Amino acid sequence: MSRANLLVTGLCAALLAVAPLFLNAYQVDVLNSIGLYALLALGLNLILGEAGLFNMGHAAFYAMGAYTTAILNTRYQIPVLWTLPLSAAVAGAFALAVARPVVHLRGDYLLIVTIGVGEIVRIALVNDVFGITGGANGIFGISRPTLFGVVIRQPQQFFYLIWGFVALTIFLFLRLKRSRFGRALNYLREDETAAEGSGINTDYYKLAAFGLGAAWAGMAGTLFAAKMTIISPESFSFWESVVLFMIVILGGAGSIPGVLLAAFLVIGLPELFREFASARMLVFGLVMMVMMVFRPQGLWPSRGGQVSLALLGKALKR
Amino acid sequence: MEEFFQQLTNGLAVGGIYALIALGYTMVYGVLKLINFAHGDLFTYGAYLGLTLLTSLALTDRLGFVAGVLVLALMVMGLVAVLGAILERAAYRPLRESPRLSAVVSALGASIFLQNTLMLIYGARFQVYPDHILPAATLNIFGLYLPLMRVLIVLASVVMMVALYLFIQKTKIGTAIRAAAIDQGAARLMGIDVNRVIMLVFLVGPALGGAAGLMVGLYYGQINFTMGWVYGMKAFTAAILGGIGNIPGAMVGGLLLGVIEALGAAYISIAWKDAIAFCVLILILIVRPTGLLGERVADKV
Amino acid sequence: MKQKLLALAVAVGLVVGAAAQAADTVKIGLMAPLTGSWASEGQGMKKIVELLAEQQNAKGGVLGKQIEIVTEDDGGDPRTASLAAQRLTTKGVAAVVGTYGSSVTEASQAIYDEAKIPQIANGSTAIRLTEKGFKHFFRTAPRDDEQGRMAAQTIDKLGFKTVAILHDSTSYAKGLADEANALLKKKGTNVVFFDALTPGERDYTTILTKLKSANPDVVLFTGYFPEAGLLLRQKKDMNWKVPFIGGDATNNSDLVKIAGKEAAEGYYFLSPPQPQDLDTADAKAFLAGYQKKYNEMPASIWAVLAGDGFQVMVAGIAGAKSTDSAKIADYLHKDLKGYAGLTGSLSFDAKGDREGEVYRVYQVDAEGKFIMQK
Repeated sequence: MSRANLLVTGLCAALLAVAPLFLNAYQVDVLNSIGLYALLALGLNLILGEAGLFNMGHAAFYAMGAYTTAILNTRYQIPVLWTLPLSAAVAGAFALAVARPVVHLRGDYLLIVTIGVGEIVRIALVNDVFGITGGANGIFGISRPTLFGVVIRQPQQFFYLIWGFVALTIFLFLRLKRSRFGRALNYLREDETAAEGSGINTDYYKLAAFGLGAAWAGMAGTLFAAKMTIISPESFSFWESVVLFMIVILGGAGSIPGVLLAAFLVIGLPELFREFASARMLVFGLVMMVMMVFRPQGLWPSRGGQVSLALLGKALKR
Repeated sequence: MEEFFQQLTNGLAVGGIYALIALGYTMVYGVLKLINFAHGDLFTYGAYLGLTLLTSLALTDRLGFVAGVLVLALMVMGLVAVLGAILERAAYRPLRESPRLSAVVSALGASIFLQNTLMLIYGARFQVYPDHILPAATLNIFGLYLPLMRVLIVLASVVMMVALYLFIQKTKIGTAIRAAAIDQGAARLMGIDVNRVIMLVFLVGPALGGAAGLMVGLYYGQINFTMGWVYGMKAFTAAILGGIGNIPGAMVGGLLLGVIEALGAAYISIAWKDAIAFCVLILILIVRPTGLLGERVADKV
Repeated sequence: MKQKLLALAVAVGLVVGAAAQAADTVKIGLMAPLTGSWASEGQGMKKIVELLAEQQNAKGGVLGKQIEIVTEDDGGDPRTASLAAQRLTTKGVAAVVGTYGSSVTEASQAIYDEAKIPQIANGSTAIRLTEKGFKHFFRTAPRDDEQGRMAAQTIDKLGFKTVAILHDSTSYAKGLADEANALLKKKGTNVVFFDALTPGERDYTTILTKLKSANPDVVLFTGYFPEAGLLLRQKKDMNWKVPFIGGDATNNSDLVKIAGKEAAEGYYFLSPPQPQDLDTADAKAFLAGYQKKYNEMPASIWAVLAGDGFQVMVAGIAGAKSTDSAKIADYLHKDLKGYAGLTGSLSFDAKGDREGEVYRVYQVDAEGKFIMQK
């Protein structure tokens, strides 16, 4: 990272850290929403951006985590934050089980399978599967999280919880990206056949990326459940998966700063566009199109990723 | 048994519509390897344009039912085709050389834009086709109830699909489309104007989608600006089921998806209908990774 | 020319007036689904509340101040609603009217409660909303259990012995279906079918075919009007003559448009009284004004109930002689009795639920009109 980059990053982080002191509850809550989506998108970025696996059903793993927390908390009174590892495990294990037989499918076939998984999970939740999800009502009465003896209830408090977690995620994922694991994923995305030829166990890496990304979605689900105190299936619709997909691609697949920037735009813009009232989604759609046309590589493409994505596109176009 | 056949015909009627929309997805995919997520919304435009033209021009009053609906269908197909071509120009052509997924996001943006444009023009309320335009006869064959219109819808879809198939297989332009689908570079070297081929694909696919929209409006009566999302998703599923990029595959996939949904609802559970359909899809893809009729593309090094 | 000048003068006057008043107004929030699936309800809510506010301001506003309506879009979805609620709490509103869907209202309840802002929902009928002990929460809509009771009673009264129940998996429709199912079984009525359709589709013949083979005397559909209209239309195409009964979410003039008059004829539904059946002089005068201003009638009763919510809040502020939330809530719980609203007399119990029987039975006649049954 160059010195200028470091400076800008530090400045942004510092600005964000003090933001709640100057913003009202609504604005902080928008930032919280952005934080949650950033977490989800960073997880999806591992799957879609780093490993190049088309996943448009990320909301399913998010839902798994949120429901794990909700069920454990409301039935067994387990404190919300203690369920974090369990949510991660449940979502991750579910992703592995689902992805195992389909991970070798070609791009768009995988896309529809993940959409299908997302829908199956949502329908199962709506139909109160095993009698534990509360059907369309969902689950309410989830307790507020406690951290070091402080009950977290204000948007300002959630802000530090969520963004603290985002910061930790960024730190871990940056290290992961530079590790052997990260390089293997990128290699695999660029040219699967060559990667396999040079001794990389492609299925293993693909599944690992899937499991890890899903586990992160599970933990984001825990935070979501804690923040809302009620959850219901409509929060995990196909649309959520689409939004996450857009965030990753718009930001620049594989680029952590890009994904963060895109989370700000995709979640923040519709809020800014509230002034347009009924036309706000129209403007949003238009902006999406225009941004893609003018920045086809994403807003902040990862270095090297620029070439690689074009290659990926070419490779798949054959 | 009677109920089984009844449900089978119910499924085929729904599947006919899916198939018609799926053709648009599959044609675009065949040539551009792009999932045109805005295709479902072009279908919605077909339904809305049909309603506006029908009520403002009073075609069926002037020309009678058969001629009126035919003229209406041609007008709607023409207009939606133009819309499809504009969409290609504005949202996809600039991204032709870009990563494939960028075009997908652009398509999603276009979908949101198109939907909300309709909402602003027509309002959020459901729009309804005038009653009594269509003959409401119901055929009764071997104890099965078959409303005449459902039979006509299935027939019309089949006619359009066969026409398209012949067009692609037997004409010179069709050959150019197939060539461009296999290898754009080589097609260009053979003197095929690939841009024109793509434009053509974006005229024909949306025209069929628009026709499907008109049929849904005429038969079901109730339309709203978000309906393309559900139909589009189903049609995309159908295209994948049949093997995306493959035209007979889209037809088979559409009809099959309709039947799976109907039988799943009839014999397992209505509430789980869509989940059942997706499960069947996933199972089929595990066994045949490129869909029912999709070609196995070997990954070349 | 003169007219144009006049219009300009009025416009300038309004702008100047608005600017002058902005400093000292009573703000009332409106949270409504202006976009999304229930946008038509939300737009209706906005029109009614704005018109009522205009009329109230012409009469001098409340507490000697003009009323300002601050509208936020909840998109008909819980997440957007929680953001909309946060936003309203920062805008200094004295009370909030809204919203339509139960789960959407639920997502906002805790936020308003923590911010101590009285909220009055207009379309949210889920039982649990008033079972949580929120002190500042009210609703003008009746509860689902009330409607479930009415549904079972009506089916019994009309003499149906076997019933099929169909819902759409939304929390509202499922709740109503469950309630009616339990009560019917208790009465010894035979429930032969209980399942859910997927809302937003066009073709329900598969479901109708399955329903028909269960051979019920009557079908109770607890979902919303777009699906009800399609079910009726496709049922007629099948030449199946079974009567249908629906819940209040089918009370929408678009139902008949979707089904067609012939198919809709004979359809029963339960609902609070329709806008046009509101028979008080106040309601009639208001609806005439609405017709004049917007050139249409309100599409549904739920928007009118938002209007009542607005009026109740204004009465609460006036009655409490302050915008203090505790005082307003106290006044509404205890002192507001028999307030003459557009939809009839309004009082609230300790939970914030509306008191008294609100539901009526309607049947669609050959003209497609909704006729209130005596």
